[in-house]
Amino acid sequence: MSEDGTDSGRRRFLLGSTSVVGVAGVVGAVVPFVGSWNPSAKARAAGAAVRVDISRIEEGAILGPIPAWRGRPIFVVRRTAESLAALPTIDGDLQDPASAQPEQPDYATNAHRSREPAILVLVGLCPHLFCSPTPRLAIRAEPFEENWKGGFYCPCHGSKFDMAGRVYSGSPASRNMEVPPYYYETDNILVIGEDGVAA
Amino acid sequence: MSDAKKQGFVVSSLVGLRDWTNDRLPIMNAWEKHMSKYYAPKNFNFWYFFGVLSLVVLVIQLVSGVFLTMHYTNSAEAAFASVEYIMRDVEFGWLIRYIHSTGASAFFVVVYLHMFRGLMYGSYKKPRELIWVFGMAIYLVLMMEGFMGYVLPWGQMSYWGANVIVSLVGAIPVIGEDLLIWVRGDFLISGATLNRFFALHVVALPIILIALVVLHLLALHEVGSNNPDGIEIKKNKDANGIPVDGIPFHPFYTVHDLVGITVFLFVFCFIIFFAPEMGGYFLEPPNFQEANPLVTPAHVPPVWYFTPFYSMLRAVTVPLLGLDAKFWGMLVMFGAIAILFVVPWLDRSPVRSMRYKGWYSRIALLIFTASFLILGYLGTLGTSPGRIALAQICTVLYFLFFFLMPWYTKKEHTFPEPLRVTGRWISNKQVVLTLVLLAALVLLPLRAVGAEVTVDLDHVEMDLRDQASQQRGLATYMNYCHSCHSVKYARYERTATDLGIPENLMMENLSFGEAGFGDLMENTMRPEHGNAWFGVVPPDLTLISRVRGPEWLYTYLRSFYEDETRVWGVNNTIFPNVGMPNVLYKLQGDVICSNNASAPEDCELTHVEGTGELSPEEFDAMIYDLVNFLYYVGEPINLRRQEIGVYVLGFLAILLILVTLLNREYWRRIH
Repeated sequence: MSEDGTDSGRRRFLLGSTSVVGVAGVVGAVVPFVGSWNPSAKARAAGAAVRVDISRIEEGAILGPIPAWRGRPIFVVRRTAESLAALPTIDGDLQDPASAQPEQPDYATNAHRSREPAILVLVGLCPHLFCSPTPRLAIRAEPFEENWKGGFYCPCHGSKFDMAGRVYSGSPASRNMEVPPYYYETDNILVIGEDGVAA
Repeated sequence: MSDAKKQGFVVSSLVGLRDWTNDRLPIMNAWEKHMSKYYAPKNFNFWYFFGVLSLVVLVIQLVSGVFLTMHYTNSAEAAFASVEYIMRDVEFGWLIRYIHSTGASAFFVVVYLHMFRGLMYGSYKKPRELIWVFGMAIYLVLMMEGFMGYVLPWGQMSYWGANVIVSLVGAIPVIGEDLLIWVRGDFLISGATLNRFFALHVVALPIILIALVVLHLLALHEVGSNNPDGIEIKKNKDANGIPVDGIPFHPFYTVHDLVGITVFLFVFCFIIFFAPEMGGYFLEPPNFQEANPLVTPAHVPPVWYFTPFYSMLRAVTVPLLGLDAKFWGMLVMFGAIAILFVVPWLDRSPVRSMRYKGWYSRIALLIFTASFLILGYLGTLGTSPGRIALAQICTVLYFLFFFLMPWYTKKEHTFPEPLRVTGRWISNKQVVLTLVLLAALVLLPLRAVGAEVTVDLDHVEMDLRDQASQQRGLATYMNYCHSCHSVKYARYERTATDLGIPENLMMENLSFGEAGFGDLMENTMRPEHGNAWFGVVPPDLTLISRVRGPEWLYTYLRSFYEDETRVWGVNNTIFPNVGMPNVLYKLQGDVICSNNASAPEDCELTHVEGTGELSPEEFDAMIYDLVNFLYYVGEPINLRRQEIGVYVLGFLAILLILVTLLNREYWRRIH
């Protein structure tokens, strides 16, 4: 009631320490509730790495966007020698030709943005507002680009990407298309979603 | 206030915000009215913790309930699996579920003790009648809340409990049958019933509950708290108009309640982490089996908090006035709750507290308490003529406590009340004596009506730390059981990780078909084939150890014997006429019923020497490993749960020391 005669130092110490321990307890109690919002084992199983057999993809063809990984479309393309040869020639038209931004794992930070030069693996989403770009793989004149060297064209807002998923200058998108983690289990089996042991 | 000058920017802004708000919403006024200038009698004892504890449990239930709702699926097809999904796949889902299931029981524990306090100290008497009535309404809504919540996991007890209680509606004359169909929304308890119970449980009833709690507290703070002496502290005020026996609720009772809350949390967490099923009273074993409208469990006891009323329902066995016993049973059951509402008008005593009431009241309360406890225990058991008779006697005693109250409270000789509140009233010796007397009154009649018959099981101790044993058990399971059964709520990945099995080994040797590592361990046999081949669908075994217990499984799997009269040529002593063949026959060899008993239960089993690929000891060891695996898979979190529990209890012990010291510091000068 009144302050007189009470040991205020002792009282303060007890109030302080009880509060600190009490707050720690509340924080501890919050942990399981916050944790329960993380992806469950079911979600993680559904989002696990997917295996793709690439032996049946012909040159210049695309597999996809069928093998969805974590609910996102995946493009797997076997590029022709011609397409690969065209890649360096358009560096000047691109926003990030050297893949400086971290849109790909280290093993795909190279001129062809892939582990094996011919096989391109991309998350089939435009980094602008996440529409799925349309594959326009052939080297030929397109309505949106006279001098098209093959790549992907986003139907939503007109972003253009080359055959390595690199974004052209003048597109609404400002980043290259994402390369997911992947590795070769065998020569023809791709595991998409994991870096693999070698990485 | 020299501190004021030293206040930093943060403190002064907070004070500013408080004042700004207070000019628009009277928060300071409310704080004073309900906390810092709410004068509570200074002689509150142990019994006065249970009000605030009810509030604590309410908050616990609201929070854990909201989070369960995020993961639960409210459909008859998916509800049971979604609860197991919460228990296994959702991070910390098991903890949130155990908090909620333990919280339900804890709610009733504290509410029953809170109500008993009211009866003992006359807290319902003028001018507190309305507080009591609101309180009883809370109790009633709480029972509905508990009942509907129990249906949601959609286990066998959920289903059959709901079936029994909802069927009571059908006992109402004339309109009963139609009303019953309307309540269920179907011709049986079904998904339609589940969905409406879900909506009521998570939306409607909690809103009503919170509203009633607010009314209960507002009414209380209007007239002020009663106390163990039952005298009015407001009659004796000092020059400032403050009751001389009153102390401000804050800080004195806030620090005091912290001690009670911490002790409560300690017990609460002990149950959550070390005994979440509470011996089958908080989570009943048959409820680990999915609801099946065609098979009633051997015994359908409600959860413990309903058992006193359930006993009364069963105690009414005679029709009367052309209406059947079921109707009267229902009337008695609801009457037992309804009569609580009018207690304030039944008590004619000039005093409130049992401390100053006469011996009639004291004996009446003792007998009433004993009857209520006996009814509660009987409600968990099956029936027998002796038990029914005892339940009938106790039901009559229960009602007599109320019916005779106007008479004995008026007639008895009361003791003079003191002018000022007093402290401790009965000595430790008297407390012990009262408890012994109560225990005797409860236990002696129960002894007379006999105990439950139990099956003799072979004693065996499971060891969750023995991974090698569980790995062998998993291999046995996959080789001999999984073609018909499944463990469909467990996942390969989790199981392999917990049992220390590498992924490739698990998926190449211990899995079926095209399953992925993260997939559920389902099997490929179709239910209709099971039905055709065995007469029953082989049950999923994920939770079988929680339904039957490991000892039962261990005994059952070793109790097959040759019986030419059965389809598969075998029978079982502890599961007579079971539909399952003895799939381990080749390993075990021949076992015969050597005394040629007519009933399987009476057989003495003898192993024919020299038969079987394994020796009896090797066979027992193999069954042990199998059961050990099933025990693990029943609750994969078991070991981890107890590990976490040790830390939680350690933390609460430290907190308890601090709040006890803090409480003592504040209360040093209060006499």
